[in-house]
Amino acid sequence: MNKLTKSLSSFVVPLISILLAFLVGMIIMVCMGKNPADALYFLGFGAFGNAANFGTTLSKATPLIFTSLCACFAYRCGVFNLGGEGQFIMGSVAACYVALRSGITGVPAMILCLAAGMAAGGVWGLVPGVLKITRGQNEMIISIMLNYVATLFMGVVYTNWLRDASVPQTEAVPNETKLPRVLTGMRFTYALVIAIVVGLLIYYFLFWTSGGFKLRAVGINMTASRFNGFPVKRYILTSFIVSGAIAGLGGAAELLGTQFRLINGFGAGYGFDGVAMALIGQLHPIATMVVAVFFAALRTGSMTMQAGTGVPTSVSDIIQALVIVFTVAGMALTKLPQFEQLRYRLRSRKGGNAA
Amino acid sequence: MNTAFIANLILATVRMAIPLLLISLGELYGQRAGMVNIGLEGLAAIGSLVGFLVSFVTGSNWLGLLCGALAGVAVNMIYAFATVTLCADHTVYGMAINIFAPALASFIYRVYFGSGSELSQITLMRGVAIPGLKNIPFFGDLLFNQTPMVYITVAIVIFTAIFFKRTQAGLNYKAVGEHPRAAATLGISVIRVKYLACVICGALAGIGGAYLTTCYSNTYTEGNVAGRGFIALAAVIFGRWTSGGILLACLFFGFCDALQIRLQVGSFGIPYQFFQMIPYIATIVVLTLIGAKQAGPKANGKPYRREQR
Amino acid sequence: MKKVFAGILTAAMAVSLLPAAMLTQASAADYKVAMICDSSISDGGWGAACYNAMVDAAGQMGWDYEVTDSIAQDEYYNSIVSYCMLGYNMIYAPGNQYTDAVLQAAEEYPDIAFALLNGGEGTPAQAVNGNVTSLLPNATQIGWIAGALAGLMSKSGTIAFIGGMELDTTLAKYAGYTEAAQYVAGLDGKEIKVLDPVYAGSFNDSNKGIEFAKAMMDEGADVFFGDASAVDSGARQAIDEANTAAGAISVYDIGQPSDILGQNECVIGSQVTDNSSLVRLSMEAVENGTFGGEVIYGTLQNGALSAGKLNADLVPEDVQTRYAEFIQQMIDEKFMAE
Repeated sequence: MNKLTKSLSSFVVPLISILLAFLVGMIIMVCMGKNPADALYFLGFGAFGNAANFGTTLSKATPLIFTSLCACFAYRCGVFNLGGEGQFIMGSVAACYVALRSGITGVPAMILCLAAGMAAGGVWGLVPGVLKITRGQNEMIISIMLNYVATLFMGVVYTNWLRDASVPQTEAVPNETKLPRVLTGMRFTYALVIAIVVGLLIYYFLFWTSGGFKLRAVGINMTASRFNGFPVKRYILTSFIVSGAIAGLGGAAELLGTQFRLINGFGAGYGFDGVAMALIGQLHPIATMVVAVFFAALRTGSMTMQAGTGVPTSVSDIIQALVIVFTVAGMALTKLPQFEQLRYRLRSRKGGNAA
Repeated sequence: MNTAFIANLILATVRMAIPLLLISLGELYGQRAGMVNIGLEGLAAIGSLVGFLVSFVTGSNWLGLLCGALAGVAVNMIYAFATVTLCADHTVYGMAINIFAPALASFIYRVYFGSGSELSQITLMRGVAIPGLKNIPFFGDLLFNQTPMVYITVAIVIFTAIFFKRTQAGLNYKAVGEHPRAAATLGISVIRVKYLACVICGALAGIGGAYLTTCYSNTYTEGNVAGRGFIALAAVIFGRWTSGGILLACLFFGFCDALQIRLQVGSFGIPYQFFQMIPYIATIVVLTLIGAKQAGPKANGKPYRREQR
Repeated sequence: MKKVFAGILTAAMAVSLLPAAMLTQASAADYKVAMICDSSISDGGWGAACYNAMVDAAGQMGWDYEVTDSIAQDEYYNSIVSYCMLGYNMIYAPGNQYTDAVLQAAEEYPDIAFALLNGGEGTPAQAVNGNVTSLLPNATQIGWIAGALAGLMSKSGTIAFIGGMELDTTLAKYAGYTEAAQYVAGLDGKEIKVLDPVYAGSFNDSNKGIEFAKAMMDEGADVFFGDASAVDSGARQAIDEANTAAGAISVYDIGQPSDILGQNECVIGSQVTDNSSLVRLSMEAVENGTFGGEVIYGTLQNGALSAGKLNADLVPEDVQTRYAEFIQQMIDEKFMAE
């Protein structure tokens, strides 16, 4: 019974949060003298209105799925990897080098690029992991600092080492190495398929294997796991590497599927977005992916909303932020003892009436 | 290396360090009460915007700073309510603040200034020379001819050091971050101290943000906090949770930043991004060298439930 | 849990089908232009100048206009396509960084005109539908206009240049600035040192402009020119502060790309790029059905580039005269000719 109510609250809370956030967003629009119905129409049309728009939404969701899975995996092991952005970027840099400099093209190049991206992301995730288990460093700080380093490093790559003759950006990856679209007329590519496969694999690993069980145990109670003889440090390090590799793979896939070249602003903000989505999805890989699509839809739609009605895209940013603010607070609320008591009292009263 | 170069480097160091210092001191007050707030970036962002807006409208930098502080407090109260009363996870909620507050700042800016293409500028706070002291050769102009906010920040550092080391109130405050349950048995209202900590943290982070637009740059640009919230977080750990240590840490970061810009001006054909990496890499290296021994408050980031026995 | 999220998505989709609004809005004008911009249109520099250029041109041509500014790199395409879907006739993208997004959108919307300011010379040929035009102000001449004034006005013999990104056009401006300043000073037997260009890595970080300007003044620079929007605004603030501290206006700034004389005390003149004339040429081409596939250059000769008004308090009269002569030489293509 308790388990049922728990899982019930775990999706009722985000649902209510989303409705509340939209309500606030609509109030803001009314205050600005805009018609919220118009704005919502454009928002929805921009995100889902036709095949092309829905394709754009899915294409936009792809990198977010990768970074949110990256955050999700690390948090399941109890470590806060805030470095998704840096790992994503390093992955794309490595993939870019392979795509432009290896001389290989076509499917082998794609596989090599994705592998290089995974490796680079894994290495970038390894650094905070190693510093945490050997020097007791706060992984959040280290991984955030590494985000800045990665962004600047990418800057060196596109302004110097792989510069496209005249412009501060790298050359585009060769056409044969670009990830193909799944359906013509829709922008999303096989990168999305890879993302979904990765999500399902993580789901399988976390919930259906003993390794995943132990990893989650470490996440829930590190001390108890240590007493039970689990190699806690090894799990922490592994989770960092894997989570970095997921982000790195995402960076490589984004490069080959959507952006084709490194340029100023590539990947900016994806790491923190991923963290937020993983949290709203309550660290469940599949729910996390759905949340990523939902946020991507909000973003894609908000551009059309701004173009069509003049409601600035920051209204959509506020709605997104409020979803997070409400969801996290709501989840905490349902875990409070007072809340449990209240629910218990309500239930017993109902039970009494029925009897 | 002439004295002018060194003097200018020191001046730039101070300029870069002050906003960091304000934000870090806010975090220190938070963490001493067990509140690990990683939402500093967001608090500073909203403080920066409100500070600019109020200065722009009223023409008073002081009012701008005050309102920046109030905005920081207001946003941080959301965090306080969620983490103290609802016992939500600190890190998670700090992230929520980091996403929410900049979005709010950007929205307010657009609504207020949005349609025009005029560049909005304000008059910055003027430097005040301290009579007598400013005549000391070399150091006089360097250290005693600053904006009042610099002196105030230094005063806060000194006050904080005395407060936590020498006063009973400070010891009680620290007890909340170390052993909240023990503190409660001594009659300290843990919840009240935690809320107070969030008020101070929000106010100082808000002022830190507002400093950027009232004392540093006379225009507002989105994203002007530019990672200072995160560096400030590092500075607290780096400074071993003491105000003196944080002062040194912030000066160190300020120095790296100032040096980075000067190296870039005299660039030697090295891509400028490598210079820009210096502060971040220095942070990682120094934190690693300082090592594992965490001297942080023991109950940092842990929820406190009164009912639990 | 899956089901419920699916439910949420369905609800969101249902919202999208609300028959609340019509897709095409009623509009008085026959033609509409939309601008996208990654910096803010109130940045006191590039964004503002490009926006005003569109507003001016649209005003003269009787077009409607709309803008989305401060957009992130991964939203360029999406933002452009949003306007395309809404039936805009022309998309105005002021910057080379929009090239990829513009080319892709141009392929998908063959009937819409895309004007790429500072676009590459080869870009229009890359557009499969021939509906992309590059508007290209001559960067070398821009550098000359500022450099000649800097060479005449520098007393310390050191001048500075602050860039946002290492763009091709930025490098060309720096080169033109350098050669013109050295040539002009050389006629008087003076030597001019031009500090290496610095790059803020963004066009928004005015704080970095402050620090760059201070550091470069420490190096002796007394005339500044730039190509970095809000970063330049920060630099001008720092220069003003230094002049106030010194009690006299001895460090100067040359504004761009619009005439900003009077915005800051230190501004002695501006290099003016009349982007609106370039935008207007594209609009006329759209109305005549001749748009696309070309590069429209902006030069001193066709009036798209010019020197702004000089600050009469700071620039001596004889220097004003000589500067005017140099500008005339540039127009007559005789500058640095011998």
